[in-house]
This record gives sequence, C-alpha cells and structure tokens, in this order.
Amino acid sequence: MSVRAAAPTAIARPAVDQAAAPWRRVSLIAVAGTVLAGIALPWVLTRLDIGDYLITLLILFFMQAVVAQSWNLIMGYGGIYSFAQVALFAVGGWTTAVLASSLGWNPFVAILFSPVIAMIAAIGIGLPTLRLRGVYVVLLTLAFHELARVFTVTGPRFISGGGYGLVSVPTFQFGDVIGERRTIYLYYLAMVIFAIASFVIWRVIHSPLGVAVTALRDSETYAVSRGINQFRVRLILFAISAFFTGLAGGYMTHYNGGISTSVFDFPRLIDLLAMIVIGGWGTFAGPILGAGIIIGLDQYLVAIGDYRALFEGLILAGIAVFAPQGLWPLIRKTYDKYLGPEPPPPPVQADQPIAAAGAADGGG
Amino acid sequence: MHDTQIVQAVWGGVLFGSVYGLMALGLTLVWGAVRLLNLAHGAIFVVGAYAAYWVVSSLHQPILVALPVGVAAAAAFAYVMHLVFIRPVLGKPGFDNSTLVATVGISISVSAAALLIFNPEYKVVPPVLSGSTIVAGVQITYQGLLVIVTSLALFAIVYLFLTYTRHGMAIRAVSQQMEAASLMSIPVVQTYGLVIAISGALAGLAGVLLSPSFFLNPQSGFNPMIQALIVTIFGGLGSIRGALVAGFVLGVFESFVEVFYGVAWAQPGVFILIIVMLIVRPNGLFGIGEVKRL
Repeated sequence: MSVRAAAPTAIARPAVDQAAAPWRRVSLIAVAGTVLAGIALPWVLTRLDIGDYLITLLILFFMQAVVAQSWNLIMGYGGIYSFAQVALFAVGGWTTAVLASSLGWNPFVAILFSPVIAMIAAIGIGLPTLRLRGVYVVLLTLAFHELARVFTVTGPRFISGGGYGLVSVPTFQFGDVIGERRTIYLYYLAMVIFAIASFVIWRVIHSPLGVAVTALRDSETYAVSRGINQFRVRLILFAISAFFTGLAGGYMTHYNGGISTSVFDFPRLIDLLAMIVIGGWGTFAGPILGAGIIIGLDQYLVAIGDYRALFEGLILAGIAVFAPQGLWPLIRKTYDKYLGPEPPPPPVQADQPIAAAGAADGGG
Repeated sequence: MHDTQIVQAVWGGVLFGSVYGLMALGLTLVWGAVRLLNLAHGAIFVVGAYAAYWVVSSLHQPILVALPVGVAAAAAFAYVMHLVFIRPVLGKPGFDNSTLVATVGISISVSAAALLIFNPEYKVVPPVLSGSTIVAGVQITYQGLLVIVTSLALFAIVYLFLTYTRHGMAIRAVSQQMEAASLMSIPVVQTYGLVIAISGALAGLAGVLLSPSFFLNPQSGFNPMIQALIVTIFGGLGSIRGALVAGFVLGVFESFVEVFYGVAWAQPGVFILIIVMLIVRPNGLFGIGEVKRL
C-alpha cells in the first residue's frame, strides 16, 4: 500500500479480497485458450465429412446460448419470472427483417437496430410489469408474448407477410464468398456475438448492478432498506437482457433468411427454459452448458420424435424439484474436489488465547 | 346498436364469464391455500376433457357417465402431481422457482402425451344437454345455460364448503397461518393435497363442460388457463368472490369488444384492460393483502 500511496497520482485502493471478487479468479490462459480453440475449430471441422453440419450446429449453439444467458440474467439472477424472452427475440428478428426486406437495407446495417428496438420494447414491457411481483410478471409477460404473436399474424402485411412471417429476408453476404468459407465467416460472426454477450453478462453479474439484483431476489425488504432502487435496477437488467436477445434474433433472421410466426410456439420457450434449468439456474455457465446439452441431445432425440416433448417436460419437472441447482454446480463441485487448486486454508489465529475465544463464543 | 347485438354480447359475456370463473376458481383456491402458481392447470383441464372423450368414444358410454370419470381423472392427476412434484419441495427455500418450472414441465408433458395417445385433430365431446332456444335472434344453447348454472352452483358449494365444513375450515386455517394450523394438529400436507385435488376436479369439470363449445386438442388447455390467470389476478389472487366477479366483468367486456369491434380485438382488449387494472389497483378488484386469504 505504502508503495502505491507514494506515487502522487495513484489513488489508494483497498486490497481486493480474493474470495469476495470471483471475477479475479478467472485464469487468463483458460480464456485465451478457449478463444483460440474457437477460432481454430472451423478450420479443423471443415476437414471432416460432417464438418459443415457441425459448424451450423455450433452457430445454433452460440445463438441459443446467448438467448438462454440473457434469460438467465433476469430469471435466474434477477428472480423476475419473465416469459417475454421469445417475444423479445422476435422483436429483434422482425426489426431487422422489415428493415432489410421492405426498405432494402444491408443486413449488417439493419441488424444494428434489432438490439436497440428490442431494448425499447423491453422498457415498454418493463414499465408496467417490473413494479409487480412473481405471478403478475408471469401473466403480463405471457400476455405480451401472446399479443406479439397475434400482431405478427394479423398485423399489416409488411410485418405479417400474410400470416406466416417474413420468408424472403436477405441473408448475410460477405462479398463474393460462398460455400464452406461463408459458413466459416457466419460462424465467426456468431462467435463474436456470443463472446461479447458472455463477457458483458459476466461483467454485469459481478458488477454492483448484478449484486444489487441478486440481493433483491434473495431478500427484497433488506435490499430495499439498504437503498437499492428495485424498479430501476430491474429495468436496467431487463434492458440489457433484451439487448442481446434482440441481437440474437436479428442474427438468426438473417442466417435463416426469414422469420416465421412459429418462433412463438410454446416448445421454443420450453427449450430455452430447459437450457437454464438443466444447466443451472442462476449460475453463469449453466445456460451455456444447458444450451450445449439441449442442442447436442436434440440431434439424437430426433429419432424418438413425438416422445421428445414428453421426456423434456418430465426431465424439466424432475430437475426443478429434485435437483433445483442444475448440472453446473454439480460439475463445479466435482472439479473443485478432485482437480481444482487447493483452497486457501481458513485464517487461523494460532496465538489467540483460548480464554478470549471462549469469551467471544459466550458473547456470540 | 341493435338489440340482437346487445343480447348476443350479454349472453356471450355471461357464458364466457362463468367459464373463466370456473377455471379461475381452482387456480385461486390453490394459490390462496398452497401459494402455488399452478401453470399445469390447463393441462389438468385437458386431462379431464380427454378422459371424458375416451369414455364416450371408446367405451360408448353416455356423456353423463363420462362426466364424473373426467372429473375424477382430473382430480386424481392433480393429486398425483402434488405427491410427486409439489410435496418434496413444500416449505423449501426454492419453492417458487421449483414449482413454476415443474408445472410448466408437467403441462408440456401432458400435451405431448395427449398428442401421442390421441392425435392432433380436434375432438368433439358431446354436450350434456343438447338443443337450444332463440331469444331476440340469438341462439341460447342449453349446454351454455348448464355451464352458467354449474359455475354459479360450484362457487356457492365451494364457499359453503370452506365456511362450514371441517375440511374447509382446515383449508382456511392452513392458508392463513400454516404453522399455527399445524400446531393445532391440522394435517397440513394432506390439506394441501385435498385443495389441489379439489382444484383439479374443478378444472376437469370445466374441461368436460367446455369441450363441446371450444373443441378439444392437446393444446386447448393453454388459452383457458391464461384467461383464468387473468381473471384470478383481476379479481385479486386468492379471493373467491373476486374470481366470480372478475370472471363476469372480463367475460362481458371481452364479449362486447368482440361483438362491436371484431374478434381480433377481444384478446388484446382484455390484455390492455388488465395492464391498466394492475397499474391502478395492483392487488386486484378485491385486493386482499398478504395476510388474509380465502
């Protein structure tokens, strides 16, 4: 401390307690390794026969993970039971679809408006909704979901496209690049969106905002009494969540070359919910893990067809009741137990007289 | 405004209102007593309706036999749901999260199972009473009249049950002060099971009575459940009187919007009404606070 204080311009900061600052525990090597692996992966995969298919799966994974993470941010961390996530995804998708197909904008420009409009929509929903609690939020957000669905089916023609959605939206074009190389570029674009979203959500979770919202979830009365403006905190969190959801919606629209009203189908919502619940509700890595599991399993579950929804529902209910923490905390615990670094020993004051300790116990 | 239109709107409104009330009654009962937001209520509705349909179409029994079977099946389903998914988390810290997700999961499984056992086609359950009469140019079906009468009667029965019988008093005691009730040797967990089974029976009855007019497919529980949620919240969560009044208010409102502005505006109109309502009176029409319930 004294060394830093000696420098005239430096501000003396208190030493950060490592245990209380989880964002400091991330190893830079691991992050850099993951990013490099992500960059190198498509070049390896294209050598395989099914490489193209795997890359498209990864793109799907990135986007679903972004939406699941955003939803987890408000549902898991915020404790706000919003079911408007798919509707916000659709708002993002429709924004860029209308701009690109009706006004003929370049997809790369049009997509920049999806997160913004989704955020505005989220603030519009949030203003009446977020002052309320639990059940009321469920109802109003479901109502918004339903209203958005009805509007996209019966709305004006440039939005509804005659009741089925917009089917001829321009796709992303990277100059003249086609085929395999275009898929790789699309992959990079998805990866960048995923990386930015993950980083921002990670920072938000560990920022004062994230701590405030978690405090509100765990004990509203106490958090409010400590001076947290619950409405404002929740609204900001909701807007951040909508931003990335809308961006993912915009990407998927241009990736698929259209958006149909079937995005509002209930199973889509359930898939996302399953990602959060199976991966781990209210954990950072949970939704990412869940997205990987659901998308990975989906390829095998195609074989059982209609039984898929049956099992998905039962698994969802089973995990929610019997293992409400999800898989991620389990993995984390196992890792810490067998492979993780030794945790620092608890501070022990050896020279403390036993009598004093006894007195402290008695006093407590 | 023609007389016909007004009669049409009022008839439709009262019919919808009693339907919504019937669904909302079960929902509000469970919320009031167990503090459980049962998002599987629509699934229970579907279970009752399909059970009745199965009895009629496969066993060739009259609808009067199928009706109690449907109600019993729905009640049994709700009770099993309580045993398997609600009971293990009762009183645990994550009760809200767990039950919310679990009931969503159950409703998905039920509609998937209905899709597998039956098929996605719309089924027709025969009405209990057939025939109709014409009043001022509007067709009044006897089934509709039956639904209205049944709904009102059930509200009365549930009210009397809660007020005067031992089990009813146990339910009220548990909903007001769970710990005190358990100290008075009221079996809390069994009482919860009873409430959920009653609520299931009400949903099943609604399913059997409504399927003739709304048709039946694996997804058809969803809309009535959303409407019931709206009614429940409009009337004040946990309030039985509120569910009755709100059912009729919303039903008549929706029906008038439908008759005078077109079907497309009916649901958005209701949603806008509820949003305004929640801003003005966040606790609902009969806003009972957090303390006094049922």
